[in-house]
Amino acid sequence: MTETLLDIAMMHSDNLIARAKDGDQNAQGKVVQLWYKRIYNFSFKFFLDHDLAMEVSQKTFISMCKNLPSLQDNARFKSWLYKIAVNYCREEARKKKGNRSLSFDMVWNREAEDSPQWESSGHRIDSPERQLQHQELSDVLQEALLEINDEQREVVIMKEYEGLKFREIAEVLNISENTVKSRMYYGLDGLRKVLERKNINKETIGYGI
Amino acid sequence: MAFKASEQDLMAYLYGELEGKEKEMVEQYLLENADARLELEKLKQLRHALGHIKDKEVIAPPIFIGDSRPPFIWNAPYFKTIASIAASLLLIMLVGRLAGLQIGYAGSELRISFGKPAQQREVVDVRPAESLTTGDVQQMINASLQQNNIAMQETWAETQKKLDASIVKNLASNSVKIDNLVKESSAASQQQIRDFVSSIQAENVQVVKSYFQLSSTEQKQYIESLLVDFAKYLQQQRNDDLQVVQTQLNSLQKNTDSFKQETEQILTSIISTVGSNNSLGTKY
Repeated sequence: MTETLLDIAMMHSDNLIARAKDGDQNAQGKVVQLWYKRIYNFSFKFFLDHDLAMEVSQKTFISMCKNLPSLQDNARFKSWLYKIAVNYCREEARKKKGNRSLSFDMVWNREAEDSPQWESSGHRIDSPERQLQHQELSDVLQEALLEINDEQREVVIMKEYEGLKFREIAEVLNISENTVKSRMYYGLDGLRKVLERKNINKETIGYGI
Repeated sequence: MAFKASEQDLMAYLYGELEGKEKEMVEQYLLENADARLELEKLKQLRHALGHIKDKEVIAPPIFIGDSRPPFIWNAPYFKTIASIAASLLLIMLVGRLAGLQIGYAGSELRISFGKPAQQREVVDVRPAESLTTGDVQQMINASLQQNNIAMQETWAETQKKLDASIVKNLASNSVKIDNLVKESSAASQQQIRDFVSSIQAENVQVVKSYFQLSSTEQKQYIESLLVDFAKYLQQQRNDDLQVVQTQLNSLQKNTDSFKQETEQILTSIISTVGSNNSLGTKY
Protein backbone atom coordinates (compact mmCIF):
# COMPACT_ATOMS: atom_id res chain seq x y z
CA MET A 1 0.00 0.00 0.00
CA THR A 2 2.56 2.54 -1.05
CA GLU A 3 0.28 4.58 -3.24
CA THR A 4 -0.02 8.22 -2.48
CA LEU A 5 -3.36 9.66 -1.61
CA LEU A 6 -3.41 11.25 -5.02
CA ASP A 7 -2.99 7.85 -6.66
CA ILE A 8 -5.78 6.37 -4.65
CA ALA A 9 -7.94 9.31 -5.49
CA MET A 10 -7.09 8.78 -9.15
CA MET A 11 -7.85 5.07 -8.99
CA HIS A 12 -11.28 5.74 -7.76
CA SER A 13 -11.86 8.60 -10.01
CA ASP A 14 -14.98 7.73 -11.88
CA ASN A 15 -14.14 10.52 -14.24
CA LEU A 16 -10.91 8.86 -15.42
CA ILE A 17 -12.63 5.52 -15.87
CA ALA A 18 -15.47 7.20 -17.76
CA ARG A 19 -13.02 8.91 -20.12
CA ALA A 20 -11.09 5.66 -20.64
CA LYS A 21 -14.41 3.95 -21.42
CA ASP A 22 -15.15 6.54 -24.08
CA GLY A 23 -11.95 5.58 -25.86
CA ASP A 24 -9.73 8.37 -24.55
CA GLN A 25 -6.30 6.75 -25.02
CA ASN A 26 -4.68 9.17 -22.58
CA ALA A 27 -7.09 8.15 -19.89
CA GLN A 28 -6.57 4.48 -20.72
CA GLY A 29 -2.81 4.96 -20.45
CA LYS A 30 -3.27 6.65 -17.10
CA VAL A 31 -5.41 3.78 -15.81
CA VAL A 32 -2.75 1.29 -16.93
CA GLN A 33 -0.05 3.33 -15.17
CA LEU A 34 -2.07 3.47 -11.96
CA TRP A 35 -3.08 -0.18 -11.82
CA TYR A 36 -0.15 -1.95 -13.47
CA LYS A 37 1.86 -2.24 -10.27
CA ARG A 38 -1.09 -3.69 -8.34
CA ILE A 39 -1.91 -6.30 -10.95
CA TYR A 40 1.76 -7.17 -11.43
CA ASN A 41 2.26 -7.66 -7.68
CA PHE A 42 -0.90 -9.71 -7.40
CA SER A 43 0.27 -12.02 -10.20
CA PHE A 44 3.83 -12.10 -8.89
CA LYS A 45 2.65 -13.27 -5.48
CA PHE A 46 0.45 -15.84 -7.17
CA PHE A 47 3.26 -17.35 -9.29
CA LEU A 48 6.48 -16.07 -7.69
CA ASP A 49 7.68 -15.60 -11.25
CA HIS A 50 8.45 -12.28 -12.88
CA ASP A 51 7.86 -13.39 -16.48
CA LEU A 52 4.50 -14.97 -15.76
CA ALA A 53 3.47 -11.92 -13.72
CA MET A 54 4.41 -9.61 -16.62
CA GLU A 55 2.52 -11.76 -19.07
CA VAL A 56 -0.62 -11.85 -16.94
CA SER A 57 -0.42 -8.09 -16.34
CA GLN A 58 -0.07 -7.27 -20.02
CA LYS A 59 -2.88 -9.59 -21.04
CA THR A 60 -5.05 -8.13 -18.29
CA PHE A 61 -4.56 -4.54 -19.46
CA ILE A 62 -4.97 -5.35 -23.13
CA SER A 63 -8.22 -7.08 -22.25
CA MET A 64 -9.17 -4.15 -20.01
CA CYS A 65 -8.71 -1.59 -22.80
CA LYS A 66 -10.67 -3.71 -25.26
CA ASN A 67 -13.55 -4.50 -22.93
CA LEU A 68 -13.79 -1.28 -20.94
CA PRO A 69 -16.82 -0.08 -22.93
CA SER A 70 -18.73 -3.15 -21.72
CA LEU A 71 -18.15 -2.24 -18.05
CA GLN A 72 -21.58 -1.34 -16.71
CA ASP A 73 -20.87 0.15 -13.29
CA ASN A 74 -17.78 2.30 -13.02
CA ALA A 75 -17.73 1.82 -9.24
CA ARG A 76 -17.05 -1.86 -9.79
CA PHE A 77 -13.98 -1.23 -11.91
CA LYS A 78 -11.60 -2.62 -9.27
CA SER A 79 -13.29 -5.98 -8.85
CA TRP A 80 -13.84 -6.15 -12.63
CA LEU A 81 -10.11 -5.62 -13.25
CA TYR A 82 -9.12 -8.24 -10.65
CA LYS A 83 -11.58 -10.67 -12.20
CA ILE A 84 -9.73 -10.37 -15.51
CA ALA A 85 -6.39 -10.78 -13.75
CA VAL A 86 -7.58 -13.84 -11.78
CA ASN A 87 -8.84 -15.48 -14.98
CA TYR A 88 -5.50 -14.98 -16.73
CA CYS A 89 -3.66 -16.24 -13.62
CA ARG A 90 -5.77 -19.40 -13.68
CA GLU A 91 -5.14 -19.84 -17.40
CA GLU A 92 -1.38 -19.52 -16.95
CA ALA A 93 -1.46 -21.86 -13.94
CA ARG A 94 -3.25 -24.47 -16.05
CA LYS A 95 -0.64 -24.11 -18.81
CA LYS A 96 2.14 -24.36 -16.26
CA LYS A 97 0.66 -27.50 -14.73
CA GLY A 98 0.23 -28.99 -18.19
CA ASN A 99 3.83 -28.31 -19.11
CA ARG A 100 5.38 -29.41 -15.88
CA SER A 101 6.14 -33.10 -15.68
CA LEU A 102 5.98 -34.44 -12.15
CA SER A 103 7.59 -37.67 -11.19
CA PHE A 104 5.52 -40.25 -9.35
CA ASP A 105 7.63 -39.78 -6.23
CA MET A 106 7.13 -36.03 -6.17
CA VAL A 107 3.38 -36.45 -6.31
CA TRP A 108 2.88 -39.28 -3.86
CA ASN A 109 5.89 -39.45 -1.62
CA ARG A 110 4.96 -37.85 1.66
CA GLU A 111 8.48 -36.67 2.25
CA ALA A 112 8.63 -35.07 -1.15
CA GLU A 113 5.33 -33.37 -0.46
CA ASP A 114 6.63 -32.00 2.77
CA SER A 115 9.80 -30.65 1.17
CA PRO A 116 9.10 -29.37 -2.31
CA GLN A 117 11.86 -28.91 -4.78
CA TRP A 118 12.52 -25.23 -4.21
CA GLU A 119 13.36 -25.99 -0.62
CA SER A 120 15.71 -28.88 -1.28
CA SER A 121 17.52 -26.82 -3.86
CA GLY A 122 18.47 -24.35 -1.13
CA HIS A 123 20.53 -24.84 1.99
CA ARG A 124 18.64 -27.77 3.30
CA ILE A 125 21.20 -28.85 5.85
CA ASP A 126 21.24 -25.43 7.45
CA SER A 127 19.05 -24.65 10.41
CA PRO A 128 16.19 -22.21 9.82
CA GLU A 129 18.19 -19.54 11.64
CA ARG A 130 21.12 -19.99 9.28
CA GLN A 131 18.76 -20.02 6.33
CA LEU A 132 17.34 -16.74 7.40
CA GLN A 133 20.76 -15.19 7.43
CA HIS A 134 21.00 -15.87 3.72
CA GLN A 135 17.45 -15.49 2.63
CA GLU A 136 15.12 -12.63 3.02
CA LEU A 137 12.12 -13.29 5.20
CA SER A 138 10.05 -11.95 2.39
CA ASP A 139 11.21 -14.77 0.11
CA VAL A 140 10.40 -17.42 2.73
CA LEU A 141 6.92 -16.01 3.14
CA GLN A 142 6.46 -15.82 -0.63
CA GLU A 143 7.43 -19.44 -0.94
CA ALA A 144 5.10 -20.35 1.89
CA LEU A 145 2.30 -18.66 -0.06
CA LEU A 146 3.01 -20.95 -2.99
CA GLU A 147 2.35 -23.98 -0.80
CA ILE A 148 -1.30 -23.29 -0.12
CA ASN A 149 -3.78 -24.16 -2.83
CA ASP A 150 -4.62 -21.78 -5.67
CA GLU A 151 -8.14 -20.87 -4.47
CA GLN A 152 -6.94 -19.97 -0.99
CA ARG A 153 -3.90 -18.14 -2.37
CA GLU A 154 -6.07 -15.93 -4.60
CA VAL A 155 -8.17 -14.90 -1.62
CA VAL A 156 -5.24 -14.38 0.76
CA ILE A 157 -3.38 -12.16 -1.75
CA MET A 158 -6.44 -10.12 -2.65
CA LYS A 159 -7.34 -9.60 1.01
CA GLU A 160 -3.96 -9.24 2.64
CA TYR A 161 -1.99 -7.43 -0.06
CA GLU A 162 -4.54 -5.87 -2.38
CA GLY A 163 -6.85 -4.74 0.37
CA LEU A 164 -10.07 -5.82 -1.30
CA LYS A 165 -13.10 -6.17 0.91
CA PHE A 166 -14.63 -9.63 1.31
CA ARG A 167 -17.60 -8.38 -0.68
CA GLU A 168 -15.35 -7.33 -3.55
CA ILE A 169 -13.45 -10.63 -3.54
CA ALA A 170 -16.78 -12.46 -3.65
CA GLU A 171 -17.66 -10.35 -6.70
CA VAL A 172 -14.32 -11.08 -8.38
CA LEU A 173 -14.56 -14.81 -7.84
CA ASN A 174 -18.31 -14.98 -8.31
CA ILE A 175 -18.80 -16.88 -5.05
CA SER A 176 -20.52 -16.09 -1.75
CA GLU A 177 -18.92 -13.86 0.83
CA ASN A 178 -18.98 -16.68 3.37
CA THR A 179 -17.05 -18.94 1.01
CA VAL A 180 -14.47 -16.18 0.62
CA LYS A 181 -14.11 -15.90 4.39
CA SER A 182 -13.78 -19.67 4.73
CA ARG A 183 -11.07 -19.78 2.09
CA MET A 184 -9.33 -16.93 3.83
CA TYR A 185 -9.47 -18.74 7.18
CA TYR A 186 -8.14 -22.03 5.78
CA GLY A 187 -5.57 -20.18 3.72
CA LEU A 188 -4.18 -18.45 6.80
CA ASP A 189 -4.36 -21.70 8.74
CA GLY A 190 -2.40 -23.45 5.99
CA LEU A 191 0.19 -20.69 5.93
CA ARG A 192 0.62 -20.94 9.70
CA LYS A 193 1.22 -24.69 9.42
CA VAL A 194 3.74 -24.20 6.62
CA LEU A 195 5.64 -21.63 8.65
CA GLU A 196 5.57 -23.83 11.75
CA ARG A 197 6.97 -26.70 9.71
CA LYS A 198 9.77 -24.44 8.59
CA ASN A 199 10.39 -23.53 12.23
CA ILE A 200 9.57 -19.93 11.56
CA ASN A 201 7.90 -18.42 14.57
CA LYS A 202 7.72 -15.32 16.63
CA GLU A 203 11.28 -15.75 17.90
CA THR A 204 13.04 -16.62 14.67
CA ILE A 205 11.79 -13.64 12.76
CA GLY A 206 11.36 -11.36 15.69
CA TYR A 207 7.82 -10.44 15.03
CA GLY A 208 5.26 -9.93 17.65
CA ILE A 209 2.90 -7.39 18.94
CA MET B 1 -28.74 -19.50 23.03
CA ALA B 2 -25.03 -18.64 23.44
CA PHE B 3 -23.38 -17.00 20.45
CA LYS B 4 -20.47 -18.87 18.91
CA ALA B 5 -18.26 -16.95 16.49
CA SER B 6 -17.73 -18.88 13.27
CA GLU B 7 -14.59 -18.90 11.15
CA GLN B 8 -16.27 -16.36 8.88
CA ASP B 9 -17.03 -14.06 11.83
CA LEU B 10 -13.44 -14.32 13.03
CA MET B 11 -12.16 -13.38 9.59
CA ALA B 12 -14.48 -10.42 9.29
CA TYR B 13 -13.48 -9.27 12.76
CA LEU B 14 -9.76 -9.76 12.03
CA TYR B 15 -9.99 -7.53 8.98
CA GLY B 16 -12.24 -4.97 10.64
CA GLU B 17 -15.23 -5.65 8.48
CA LEU B 18 -17.68 -6.11 11.33
CA GLU B 19 -19.78 -3.30 12.62
CA GLY B 20 -22.32 -2.59 15.29
CA LYS B 21 -24.08 -5.45 16.96
CA GLU B 22 -22.18 -8.19 15.20
CA LYS B 23 -18.86 -6.72 16.26
CA GLU B 24 -20.01 -6.48 19.86
CA MET B 25 -21.16 -10.07 19.84
CA VAL B 26 -17.82 -11.31 18.58
CA GLU B 27 -15.92 -9.17 21.11
CA GLN B 28 -18.12 -10.58 23.86
CA TYR B 29 -17.46 -14.11 22.62
CA LEU B 30 -13.72 -13.46 22.61
CA LEU B 31 -13.83 -12.16 26.18
CA GLU B 32 -15.55 -15.31 27.32
CA ASN B 33 -13.55 -17.74 25.23
CA ALA B 34 -9.79 -17.95 25.86
CA ASP B 35 -9.18 -20.43 23.02
CA ALA B 36 -10.77 -18.11 20.49
CA ARG B 37 -8.70 -15.26 21.86
CA LEU B 38 -5.53 -17.26 21.41
CA GLU B 39 -6.56 -18.22 17.91
CA LEU B 40 -7.18 -14.60 17.00
CA GLU B 41 -3.84 -13.64 18.50
CA LYS B 42 -2.06 -16.18 16.35
CA LEU B 43 -3.83 -14.94 13.27
CA LYS B 44 -2.81 -11.36 14.05
CA GLN B 45 0.79 -12.48 14.45
CA LEU B 46 0.61 -14.25 11.12
CA ARG B 47 -0.81 -11.13 9.46
CA HIS B 48 2.05 -9.15 10.94
CA ALA B 49 4.55 -11.63 9.50
CA LEU B 50 2.85 -11.56 6.12
CA GLY B 51 3.29 -7.81 6.15
CA HIS B 52 7.01 -8.43 5.53
CA ILE B 53 6.36 -9.14 1.89
CA LYS B 54 6.89 -5.86 0.10
CA ASP B 55 5.56 -4.91 -3.26
CA LYS B 56 7.95 -5.08 -6.17
CA GLU B 57 8.50 -1.97 -8.16
CA VAL B 58 7.60 -2.31 -11.80
CA ILE B 59 7.25 0.07 -14.68
CA ALA B 60 4.23 -0.42 -16.86
CA PRO B 61 5.29 -1.23 -20.40
CA PRO B 62 3.41 0.50 -23.17
CA ILE B 63 0.23 -1.33 -24.01
CA PHE B 64 -0.68 -1.09 -27.67
CA ILE B 65 -4.30 -1.40 -28.45
CA GLY B 66 -5.76 -1.30 -31.92
CA ASP B 67 -7.89 1.66 -33.00
CA SER B 68 -11.12 1.23 -31.17
CA ARG B 69 -13.01 3.99 -32.99
CA PRO B 70 -16.02 2.92 -35.02
CA PRO B 71 -14.89 2.08 -38.57
CA PHE B 72 -15.79 4.39 -41.46
CA ILE B 73 -17.95 3.16 -44.28
CA TRP B 74 -14.92 2.38 -46.48
CA ASN B 75 -13.44 0.25 -43.73
CA ALA B 76 -16.47 -1.99 -43.65
CA PRO B 77 -15.67 -5.38 -45.15
CA TYR B 78 -18.77 -5.50 -47.41
CA PHE B 79 -17.86 -2.11 -48.85
CA LYS B 80 -14.37 -3.36 -49.66
CA THR B 81 -15.77 -6.42 -51.43
CA ILE B 82 -18.17 -4.38 -53.55
CA ALA B 83 -15.50 -1.82 -54.37
CA SER B 84 -13.04 -4.48 -55.46
CA ILE B 85 -15.64 -6.14 -57.73
CA ALA B 86 -16.47 -2.76 -59.29
CA ALA B 87 -12.79 -2.00 -59.82
CA SER B 88 -12.25 -5.37 -61.54
CA LEU B 89 -15.22 -4.77 -63.85
CA LEU B 90 -13.90 -1.32 -64.70
CA LEU B 91 -10.49 -2.76 -65.50
CA ILE B 92 -12.01 -5.42 -67.74
CA MET B 93 -14.04 -2.76 -69.58
CA LEU B 94 -10.97 -0.59 -70.07
CA VAL B 95 -8.92 -3.47 -71.41
CA GLY B 96 -11.80 -4.42 -73.71
CA ARG B 97 -12.01 -0.87 -75.03
CA LEU B 98 -8.28 -0.73 -75.73
CA ALA B 99 -8.19 -4.11 -77.41
CA GLY B 100 -11.27 -3.36 -79.51
CA LEU B 101 -13.30 -6.18 -78.09
CA GLN B 102 -16.46 -6.98 -80.00
CA ILE B 103 -19.14 -9.09 -78.45
CA GLY B 104 -22.26 -9.87 -80.40
CA TYR B 105 -25.14 -12.25 -80.21
CA ALA B 106 -27.01 -12.88 -83.39
CA GLY B 107 -29.29 -15.76 -84.13
CA SER B 108 -27.90 -18.62 -81.99
CA GLU B 109 -24.30 -17.43 -82.25
CA LEU B 110 -22.25 -15.67 -79.54
CA ARG B 111 -19.37 -13.87 -81.18
CA ILE B 112 -16.39 -12.51 -79.19
CA SER B 113 -13.66 -10.91 -81.24
CA PHE B 114 -10.88 -8.38 -81.02
CA GLY B 115 -10.31 -5.62 -83.52
CA LYS B 116 -12.58 -4.77 -86.48
CA PRO B 117 -14.96 -7.43 -87.69
CA ALA B 118 -13.52 -9.26 -90.70
CA GLN B 119 -15.32 -9.31 -94.14
CA GLN B 120 -17.57 -12.26 -94.46
CA ARG B 121 -15.95 -14.73 -96.81
CA GLU B 122 -17.90 -15.86 -99.88
CA VAL B 123 -19.07 -19.36 -99.64
CA VAL B 124 -18.56 -21.32 -102.87
CA ASP B 125 -21.49 -23.47 -103.59
CA VAL B 126 -20.23 -26.84 -104.60
CA ARG B 127 -22.80 -28.98 -106.29
CA PRO B 128 -22.46 -32.24 -108.19
CA ALA B 129 -22.50 -31.58 -112.01
CA GLU B 130 -24.54 -34.51 -113.05
CA SER B 131 -26.08 -37.28 -111.13
CA LEU B 132 -25.47 -40.89 -112.17
CA THR B 133 -28.05 -43.59 -112.11
CA THR B 134 -27.68 -46.70 -110.06
CA GLY B 135 -27.47 -48.88 -113.14
CA ASP B 136 -24.59 -46.84 -114.59
CA VAL B 137 -22.68 -47.06 -111.33
CA GLN B 138 -23.32 -50.81 -111.16
CA GLN B 139 -22.10 -51.21 -114.72
CA MET B 140 -18.99 -49.19 -114.05
CA ILE B 141 -18.25 -51.22 -110.97
CA ASN B 142 -18.76 -54.50 -112.83
CA ALA B 143 -16.54 -53.40 -115.71
CA SER B 144 -13.75 -52.33 -113.45
CA LEU B 145 -14.13 -55.55 -111.45
CA GLN B 146 -13.84 -57.63 -114.59
CA GLN B 147 -10.79 -55.72 -115.74
CA ASN B 148 -9.29 -56.20 -112.36
CA ASN B 149 -10.01 -59.90 -112.34
CA ILE B 150 -8.43 -60.40 -115.75
CA ALA B 151 -5.35 -58.46 -114.80
CA MET B 152 -5.09 -60.34 -111.57
CA GLN B 153 -5.42 -63.72 -113.27
CA GLU B 154 -2.71 -62.81 -115.73
CA THR B 155 -0.36 -61.77 -113.04
CA TRP B 156 -1.20 -64.89 -111.00
CA ALA B 157 -0.43 -67.13 -113.99
CA GLU B 158 2.85 -65.38 -114.61
CA THR B 159 3.92 -65.63 -111.06
CA GLN B 160 2.85 -69.27 -110.96
CA LYS B 161 5.06 -70.07 -113.93
CA LYS B 162 7.97 -68.21 -112.50
CA LEU B 163 7.60 -69.97 -109.22
CA ASP B 164 7.46 -73.42 -110.84
CA ALA B 165 10.51 -72.72 -112.95
CA SER B 166 12.50 -71.49 -110.04
CA ILE B 167 11.42 -74.46 -107.91
CA VAL B 168 12.50 -76.95 -110.57
CA LYS B 169 15.78 -75.18 -111.02
CA ASN B 170 16.42 -75.09 -107.32
CA LEU B 171 15.53 -78.73 -106.90
CA ALA B 172 17.93 -79.77 -109.67
CA SER B 173 20.83 -77.81 -108.39
CA ASN B 174 20.13 -78.83 -104.82
CA SER B 175 19.87 -82.55 -105.59
CA VAL B 176 23.19 -82.50 -107.39
CA LYS B 177 24.76 -80.73 -104.50
CA ILE B 178 23.23 -83.11 -102.01
CA ASP B 179 24.40 -86.15 -103.99
CA ASN B 180 27.91 -84.79 -104.08
CA LEU B 181 27.82 -84.08 -100.44
CA VAL B 182 26.51 -87.56 -99.64
CA LYS B 183 29.19 -89.15 -101.78
CA GLU B 184 31.90 -87.14 -100.27
CA SER B 185 30.71 -87.88 -96.85
CA SER B 186 30.37 -91.63 -97.53
CA ALA B 187 33.84 -91.84 -99.08
CA ALA B 188 35.31 -89.89 -96.34
CA SER B 189 33.64 -92.02 -93.77
CA GLN B 190 34.79 -95.34 -95.30
CA GLN B 191 38.36 -94.14 -95.36
CA GLN B 192 38.08 -92.85 -91.88
CA ILE B 193 36.56 -96.06 -90.55
CA ARG B 194 39.34 -98.05 -92.09
CA ASP B 195 41.94 -95.84 -90.60
CA PHE B 196 40.20 -95.94 -87.30
CA VAL B 197 39.83 -99.72 -87.27
CA SER B 198 43.43 -100.26 -88.30
CA SER B 199 44.66 -97.88 -85.65
CA ILE B 200 42.51 -99.63 -83.08
CA GLN B 201 43.84 -103.00 -84.21
CA ALA B 202 47.42 -101.80 -83.99
CA GLU B 203 46.75 -100.41 -80.55
CA ASN B 204 45.10 -103.63 -79.51
CA VAL B 205 48.03 -105.68 -80.75
CA GLN B 206 50.39 -103.42 -78.93
CA VAL B 207 48.40 -103.66 -75.74
CA VAL B 208 48.01 -107.42 -75.92
CA LYS B 209 51.66 -107.84 -76.73
CA SER B 210 52.83 -105.78 -73.89
CA TYR B 211 50.34 -107.44 -71.62
CA PHE B 212 51.53 -110.86 -72.54
CA GLN B 213 55.12 -109.83 -72.17
CA LEU B 214 54.42 -108.42 -68.79
CA SER B 215 52.33 -111.34 -67.69
CA SER B 216 54.80 -113.90 -69.02
CA THR B 217 57.72 -112.37 -67.15
CA GLU B 218 55.58 -112.09 -64.05
CA GLN B 219 54.42 -115.65 -64.42
CA LYS B 220 57.95 -116.78 -64.91
CA GLN B 221 59.06 -115.03 -61.83
CA TYR B 222 56.13 -116.32 -59.93
CA ILE B 223 56.65 -119.89 -61.02
CA GLU B 224 60.30 -119.65 -60.24
CA SER B 225 59.63 -118.39 -56.78
CA LEU B 226 56.95 -121.01 -56.42
CA LEU B 227 59.38 -123.72 -57.39
CA VAL B 228 62.02 -122.40 -55.08
CA ASP B 229 59.53 -122.26 -52.29
CA PHE B 230 58.32 -125.72 -53.03
CA ALA B 231 61.88 -127.05 -53.10
CA LYS B 232 62.53 -125.32 -49.79
CA TYR B 233 59.41 -126.83 -48.41
CA LEU B 234 60.32 -130.29 -49.59
CA GLN B 235 63.76 -129.93 -48.14
CA GLN B 236 62.28 -128.84 -44.88
CA GLN B 237 59.83 -131.70 -44.92
CA ARG B 238 62.62 -134.19 -45.58
CA ASN B 239 64.65 -132.75 -42.80
CA ASP B 240 61.72 -132.99 -40.45
CA ASP B 241 60.99 -136.56 -41.50
CA LEU B 242 64.58 -137.46 -41.09
CA GLN B 243 64.58 -135.97 -37.65
CA VAL B 244 61.45 -137.88 -36.79
CA VAL B 245 62.91 -141.11 -38.10
CA GLN B 246 66.10 -140.36 -36.21
CA THR B 247 64.34 -139.74 -32.97
CA GLN B 248 62.17 -142.79 -33.42
CA LEU B 249 65.22 -144.83 -34.20
CA ASN B 250 66.87 -143.38 -31.14
CA SER B 251 63.93 -144.17 -28.98
CA LEU B 252 63.77 -147.64 -30.46
CA GLN B 253 67.44 -148.02 -29.72
CA LYS B 254 66.83 -146.85 -26.17
CA ASN B 255 63.96 -149.18 -25.80
CA THR B 256 66.00 -152.02 -27.14
CA ASP B 257 68.83 -151.18 -24.80
CA SER B 258 66.56 -150.94 -21.81
CA PHE B 259 64.86 -154.13 -22.87
CA LYS B 260 68.21 -155.75 -23.19
CA GLN B 261 69.18 -154.54 -19.76
CA GLU B 262 65.97 -155.68 -18.24
CA THR B 263 66.34 -159.00 -19.93
CA GLU B 264 69.84 -159.21 -18.68
CA GLN B 265 68.74 -158.32 -15.19
CA ILE B 266 65.94 -160.77 -15.31
CA LEU B 267 68.22 -163.37 -16.68
CA THR B 268 70.82 -162.67 -14.05
CA SER B 269 68.18 -162.68 -11.38
CA ILE B 270 66.79 -165.91 -12.70
CA ILE B 271 70.21 -167.35 -12.95
CA SER B 272 71.04 -166.26 -9.50
CA THR B 273 67.79 -167.60 -8.11
CA VAL B 274 68.23 -170.82 -9.92
CA GLY B 275 71.78 -170.99 -8.66
CA SER B 276 70.76 -170.35 -5.12
CA ASN B 277 67.91 -172.79 -5.35
CA ASN B 278 70.21 -175.36 -6.66
CA SER B 279 72.51 -174.80 -3.82
CA LEU B 280 69.64 -175.01 -1.39
CA GLY B 281 68.36 -177.99 -3.08
CA THR B 282 71.55 -179.59 -2.74
CA LYS B 283 71.63 -178.82 0.72
CA TYR B 284 68.40 -180.50 1.29
